[in-house]
Amino acid sequence: MSGRIQVDFDAAEGAVLRMLGLVERRGFVVSVMTMAAREGRGSLSLDVDARDPGRSLDVVARQLRRLQEVRNVSTSSSDRGAS
Amino acid sequence: MATRAPRKALEAVPAPVTGARLVVEALEREGVRHLFGYPGGAIMPVYDALPGSKLQHILVRHEQGAALAADAYGRVTGQPGVCIATSGPGATNLVTGIANAFLDSVPLVAITGQVATPLIGTDAFQEVDIFGITLPIVKHSFVIRRTEDIPQVFADAFRIARSGRPGPVLIDLPKDMGVKAVVPAEIRPHVEAVEAPEAALIAEANALIAEARAPILYFGGGIAIARAERALRAFAARAGIPSVATLKGLGGIPTDDAAFLGMLGMHGMRAANIAIDNCDLLICIGARFDDRATGKADTFAPNARIIHLDGDAAEIGKLRRADVGIAGDIVQAMDLLTAIPRCAAWRDQCLRQKAMWAMDYDAPGNGVYAPALLKTLSEAAPDNTIFTCDVGQHQMWVAQHCRFSRPQAHLTSAGLGTMGYGIPAGIGALLADPSATVITVSGDGSIMMNIQELATIRRYRLPLKIVLLDNAQLGMVRQWQELFFDRNFSEIDLSDNPDFAEVARAFGIEAFTIDHRSEVAGAVARLLGTNGPILCHVRIDPRENVWPLVPPNSSNVEMMEKAR
Ligand SMILES: Cc1ncc(C[n+]2csc(CCOP(=O)(O)OP(=O)(O)O)c2C)c(N)n1
Repeated sequence: MSGRIQVDFDAAEGAVLRMLGLVERRGFVVSVMTMAAREGRGSLSLDVDARDPGRSLDVVARQLRRLQEVRNVSTSSSDRGAS
Repeated sequence: MATRAPRKALEAVPAPVTGARLVVEALEREGVRHLFGYPGGAIMPVYDALPGSKLQHILVRHEQGAALAADAYGRVTGQPGVCIATSGPGATNLVTGIANAFLDSVPLVAITGQVATPLIGTDAFQEVDIFGITLPIVKHSFVIRRTEDIPQVFADAFRIARSGRPGPVLIDLPKDMGVKAVVPAEIRPHVEAVEAPEAALIAEANALIAEARAPILYFGGGIAIARAERALRAFAARAGIPSVATLKGLGGIPTDDAAFLGMLGMHGMRAANIAIDNCDLLICIGARFDDRATGKADTFAPNARIIHLDGDAAEIGKLRRADVGIAGDIVQAMDLLTAIPRCAAWRDQCLRQKAMWAMDYDAPGNGVYAPALLKTLSEAAPDNTIFTCDVGQHQMWVAQHCRFSRPQAHLTSAGLGTMGYGIPAGIGALLADPSATVITVSGDGSIMMNIQELATIRRYRLPLKIVLLDNAQLGMVRQWQELFFDRNFSEIDLSDNPDFAEVARAFGIEAFTIDHRSEVAGAVARLLGTNGPILCHVRIDPRENVWPLVPPNSSNVEMMEKAR
């Protein structure tokens, strides 16, 4: 599974490391990353590929939402046939 | 009049307070009574502020002991246990305990000293990036960058550690932040939003329950977290549905309840695994389809529809798609599951299986048979008993053969499987609940991982009862080598261990050894009748294995049994 994860977050110490670490640890390879942060708010966009078919963008999105700094997560799958 | 006004204004300005004092005040404000720790350079300002506070510091003999004791304290009280250590090696020694709390969702606050702010990032003496090291094993973490923020950071840390799905929170405190005196910033109040379960999902779940003819309740550690025993028991009784538990769920429904089929999974009861295999509806409550519980995942509950209730939305659908997933307050959700399935025949079938596959306590020879000893001990122990254990065969025997009437009665390192958990956990449990009888069951491998904490038991006169099951081996590893590595026994021999009764006595703890089954009754009476700390060293047969067992990568119904 491939796709894009977009996160809005509060720019606190370690926030980016926490999000990237989570996405990689939970079985995704990050191929493109864009990030911006100002005035205490940040946004992060990651293009990701799953390491194995058992990984779901939806599950990783919910795991990201558990992080204290994360305000909003959206995902879009780039797999053929995916909605 | 003119002279009074400026004096009033002066009085209104609060006096500056050191960061270390703010730490102590924050802990007092959170109602902390005990903290487990070990001092050193970078954390010395906080230790300087401890005397005269309301906090009792428990000086352990290794920081891992502090973190694991705080973990047990958190499990028993439901409030964050607190551990504290200095920078560098003190902080890294906490890591295993923090990971233990993370994997078992235990509320814990770990405070680490750090080198002074100007030295951070210079490879200073005893500098490690503990914030970075622990990122994957904390629920959240903070570095104190302004002394003024200490009250707010501590308030947030405790709230985060205990709320929702609990977990460990780390606060890294650079030395200069503890020394500086400031007027602290005010604490912002936090309002916790509790979401009621969605009515439509509850209706769907009730419809599935009403249709089911062979339902099973599969519950886990989430019951203890949500203190949901009442709701679970009421639901199970009302619906008449048989239940099984994970290692961490044991006690959610009393283990001696007639319709409780036992632990499921790798070392679970056959009746529990068979019931899961045959059920048409699996109601998973506060459990997470962990591989130790499910065996080969695609053969787990192969014909069942799934209702999954969990406090943590991220668990739903993580490993198994749920037909109905309800995230949020599991107590409220269970209370709303009022449908009654027509499952009397199924229930009878499950109970027949339970009777057919009941544990057998007959063992040849005169040696001590550990399962029988644990059963006898647990039956003789009072209801307020808490068992803590280490990791290995003895841990599985505790889970299989002891009785638990509440989840807090069984403190086990389930997720991380930390050898060395038992004794520190016993210390934490006794301080959290001094009225409890606390029994630690350990192995001769595990006990050596935190044996130094016998000194802590002695120092604080903690009446911990330790049962050391000594098979002179790393028994669980030996069992796997015997069964799955062609008996190629590699590095499991511990026959040169010291005489453990002598070791305990050297720490000032009463101890005795038994090796014959005729001594078991006397040993149990002595253990339970002794007021102070005591260690019973039990020599057992090194060839004994834990049965039944699901081999790795197998379905849960492919269980290996002890030859009868
Ligand atoms: C800290 C740690 N190191 C290694 C292991 C792997 N391990 C699991 S069980 C076990 C053997 C435990 O031996 P013992 O404490 O004597 O218990 P027994 O199995 O003999 O009852 C080992 C080495 C572990 N779980 N934890």
